[in-house]
Amino acid sequence: MTEKKIPQASLDKLLARLQERGTVYAPGRGASGDVALLEMPQGEPVLQDYGNFALSPKAFFLPQTQTLLRFRDGKAEEPSPPDRPVFLVGVRPCDAAALLALDKVFLDGDPRDPYYEHFRAKATIIALACTQPMASCFCTSVGGGPGDGAGADVLAVGLDTGLLLRAQTTRGEELLASLADLLAEPTAQDSQEADERIRAAEGQLAPARADDSARRLREAYDAPLWAAAGQKCLGCGTCSFLCPTCHCFDITDEVRNGAGRRVRTWDCCAYPLFTLHASGHNPRPTPKERWRQRLMHKFRYAVENHGRFFCVGCGRCIRNCPVSLDLRTALKEIS
Amino acid sequence: MTESPQIESRLRETASGLLREKKVSLFLGYEKATLPFRTAPLFLTAADEAERLVWNPFCSANLAVYLPRLFKAPADAREAKAAPAPPTVGVVLKGCDARSVVALLQERQVPREKLLLVGVACPGMVDRRKAERALGEHACLGAGEDARGNVRAVVDDGTEVTLRREQIVADACLECRAPTPALHDLLLGTPVAGKQADAARRRVAELESKPLDARWARFQELAARCIRCNACRQACPMCAGCKTCLLDQTRPRWIGAGTDASDVALYHLLRAFHLAGRCTGCGACARACPMGLDVRLLSRKMSQEVEDLYGFRPGEAADATPVLSAFSLDDSQDFVTEP
Repeated sequence: MTEKKIPQASLDKLLARLQERGTVYAPGRGASGDVALLEMPQGEPVLQDYGNFALSPKAFFLPQTQTLLRFRDGKAEEPSPPDRPVFLVGVRPCDAAALLALDKVFLDGDPRDPYYEHFRAKATIIALACTQPMASCFCTSVGGGPGDGAGADVLAVGLDTGLLLRAQTTRGEELLASLADLLAEPTAQDSQEADERIRAAEGQLAPARADDSARRLREAYDAPLWAAAGQKCLGCGTCSFLCPTCHCFDITDEVRNGAGRRVRTWDCCAYPLFTLHASGHNPRPTPKERWRQRLMHKFRYAVENHGRFFCVGCGRCIRNCPVSLDLRTALKEIS
Repeated sequence: MTESPQIESRLRETASGLLREKKVSLFLGYEKATLPFRTAPLFLTAADEAERLVWNPFCSANLAVYLPRLFKAPADAREAKAAPAPPTVGVVLKGCDARSVVALLQERQVPREKLLLVGVACPGMVDRRKAERALGEHACLGAGEDARGNVRAVVDDGTEVTLRREQIVADACLECRAPTPALHDLLLGTPVAGKQADAARRRVAELESKPLDARWARFQELAARCIRCNACRQACPMCAGCKTCLLDQTRPRWIGAGTDASDVALYHLLRAFHLAGRCTGCGACARACPMGLDVRLLSRKMSQEVEDLYGFRPGEAADATPVLSAFSLDDSQDFVTEP
């Protein structure tokens, strides 16, 4: 694993260099004042002090609204997606790890999802180790960590004097090699500082009980806690829209006078329409079954089918639930 | 001086009494949540669990949103026959929540005789985003109320910070005309005076004073950030009362599910129109929005239109006929234009 250092003063140059090669998104303060991934060039990139973005970067790979094809007079035409490489800078390790979960869904089977594959192939992920875990974060309980580079091509760790860059993939190695003139060799002290920062962040994370979740959930299918949570759940879908691993989608044909388009949009298991059959029957008729499904999918079916959680512990669903439902509580209660 | 501790213990006594004497089969209130600046709704059925009930500056959720679904009969006749008897529900209501209940009663979405309304005079509830912003880069480890009703937060460096209540109270509370529930079976706390009607009007007037393209730009700004998750609709007690939502219909599909500008615009415009003369200004929509968008403005504007045309304010008199279901020869006809 190559380890390099970029001095604070050269960060702008690095971003400029990336912009010569593709479209660059880096953290900045958006219209709302919150830190978000914004397209460069933008005012002042924020490269350390933020918890995480309100939205996960999954829309870069699974756009919320994507036209798959347009048709007219019996002829269909597929729009060609943007071909320019994309660099995502400052993605948090939890969100980078989520891409590995999405890869399982979209790239690990037959057929592969060509739309997702295209966006994934064009993107280089430069993750930034997390130094400010929030009270809702629990990445270390689901196989990740604030300094984990899985899913990223390069992991950056903030230092007092710049960023330590650790290549995670071949693409990451190549990127660092191509930027060699901007980079310096890190000292042992730099590496130590990085490790200390990561350890400090790890120390702030409270554990959640995800262990043995597949078995525990299998046995808890009829547990009373689902009805209790379902009673409170508003079915608003915020949790899954913000979730970096939720990936369910709908495909609709929008047709007018024989012409139109086929469009893929995000869907959500919290909605009654998600499972409504044409017959009118709905196998998940109430919020109870829908809420159970969300947890079962992330902590049981994903483990059984893909060998990993479909949760990276980013905590967005917990922070944003209008009725304060916390999946950590449910994971604890199913003993 | 805050009355929260007294109100909290009265709430617990009340709930356990009502449940024990079987005056209600379900009591809806608030309990502690896992994160600071929040509470979670509590569905209480056992008298001995009443100690879980809390009353503090974070009881912002409008519990009226749960009422219609508790009384919704299954559409299928056989299922309806087999369904359990509807519950008798005790529910904790702030001024805004009580207005929602009144509006639901006006529309006959909930049966009055099955409700036991426990009103609480509300000093204004904390907007968690304002509170979090006020702490800047510091994360909050825990928060509570001090004797004066301000919020004390313990932050990540171990220090305690006092946040003044009026600085972190929700925008909807700053405009609330009736923080003390007018309709109630039981009232806790000393009545709180309402804000002048002008506060919300000023906000609408401020928008209306701008030229058309500036207003449109502002709406587009909101639409561009909306992720179409439906949280505003789902958190709204008036939307909860709707039996079918046209957003959920697929034959035909009236509106696309995605984030194309026209679909997002249509979503917000439809919601605003459907809330005309129904929105009681509780702010549940804005609170639920994961993007922090203030989606209240359009529905506020529509409510104001209805108020100016018909002198009707939703959520005020439980026996009033909903304005869009009523007709009077004296109604203003000014808006009717010849083709």
